[in-house]
Amino acid sequence: MRRFLLLASPAILALAVVLDGPAADAHALVGNRIFPATIVTDDPGVADELALPTISSFKTGDDPAARELDVSGEYAKRLTDKLGVSFGETWTRVKAPGGDKAQGFQNFDTTLKYQLIKDGDREAILALGLSAEWGGSGEDQIGAEHHSTFTPTVFFGKGAGDLPDSLAWARPFAVTGLVGYAIPSRARDAGQRNARVIGTGLAIEYSLPYLAAHVKDYGFSDFVNHLTPLVEANFQTPVSNTESRRTTGTINPGLIWSGRRFQFAAEATLPINRESGRGTGFVVQVHYYLDDLFPKSIGKPIW
Amino acid sequence: MRKSLILAAALTLLAGQAFAHARLLTAAPKVGSTGPSPQTLVLHYSETIVPGASSVTVTGPGGAPAPIGPLALGDKDKREVTVAFSAPLRPGAYKVSWKMHTPDDHNTDGTFVFTVKK
Repeated sequence: MRRFLLLASPAILALAVVLDGPAADAHALVGNRIFPATIVTDDPGVADELALPTISSFKTGDDPAARELDVSGEYAKRLTDKLGVSFGETWTRVKAPGGDKAQGFQNFDTTLKYQLIKDGDREAILALGLSAEWGGSGEDQIGAEHHSTFTPTVFFGKGAGDLPDSLAWARPFAVTGLVGYAIPSRARDAGQRNARVIGTGLAIEYSLPYLAAHVKDYGFSDFVNHLTPLVEANFQTPVSNTESRRTTGTINPGLIWSGRRFQFAAEATLPINRESGRGTGFVVQVHYYLDDLFPKSIGKPIW
Repeated sequence: MRKSLILAAALTLLAGQAFAHARLLTAAPKVGSTGPSPQTLVLHYSETIVPGASSVTVTGPGGAPAPIGPLALGDKDKREVTVAFSAPLRPGAYKVSWKMHTPDDHNTDGTFVFTVKK
């Protein structure tokens, strides 16, 4: 399936250009606010988007630590204005200190997301989602799980555009985040417990496009006026059917450059403890706004 | 992986050729600025604008509408929107509210404030 998608995607895009029809709005546009797509925490918008590629490199929390390289892609499609589905796949290479290498695909991911609230005056947005990691669709050699995992998730975002005039400088700030509860389809695999895990993500961002267009134009260069500095954080805490309840995660400071039809993001990856990894890693992503690229075909809702 | 990178490169090239959501890039008077009463309001967007389906309103001190003429596009640059003030503006803060429509049917809106000094 994943190889079919990778091979067929150029043909699908070409067909989309030919069949372009009426358009609709998308993005996480909420009043004055555009919530950019964040890398490690899924944003609260329902949109037609393609994140390709996302490349990350870091040292694992194993002892001794191995170097892991992940290359992933995610395609998000609106079914209706408020309901969307996304498909994600990751190719992983793990290089152990002794020189041994393993590589292959992780389990296939899908997410169904529903846009519950979009309040332009308050720059507030809320979505509900259900993610599924399909067990057995990945490869054993890179540790893909045999069981599936289902994660109901709440996604949220809030811009600070409604702050009073005395705090106008802070209006470009926004917060997005998510809280999910991962439920494995089986309690055990080969005698090992499959924990239930609470996943949380948070992104704090300061939008320079928002500053220039809605608060005060300081005359920065065009390049700077497209930047959004941000810090993302991502945590996983096993809460049941587990021997350890230790939280793992990363803090990711970085930058997003948002263009007319795509954005580029780069972040450092800082593990919060030894179990989360070693040293500083990185993650970079190119993210396309398909509703802007193909507004009348694959960039609009199906229904 | 190679196919993914080729696809990404192709999309980046395509990205330069389509329309998109109109985003305000610059304005005169500048967003958040203080200065003398302007004769016109000029808004420069990232995309070509459809004037018949777009609008600009300006409200002054006390919420009173400012006297403005019809919305017009630049002769050479269809991403530039101009509205003329039909009378000098009194000192105070003015809120600009805009709604823009692009040829591919995307709609965006936004607000900002400029101040006319005494």
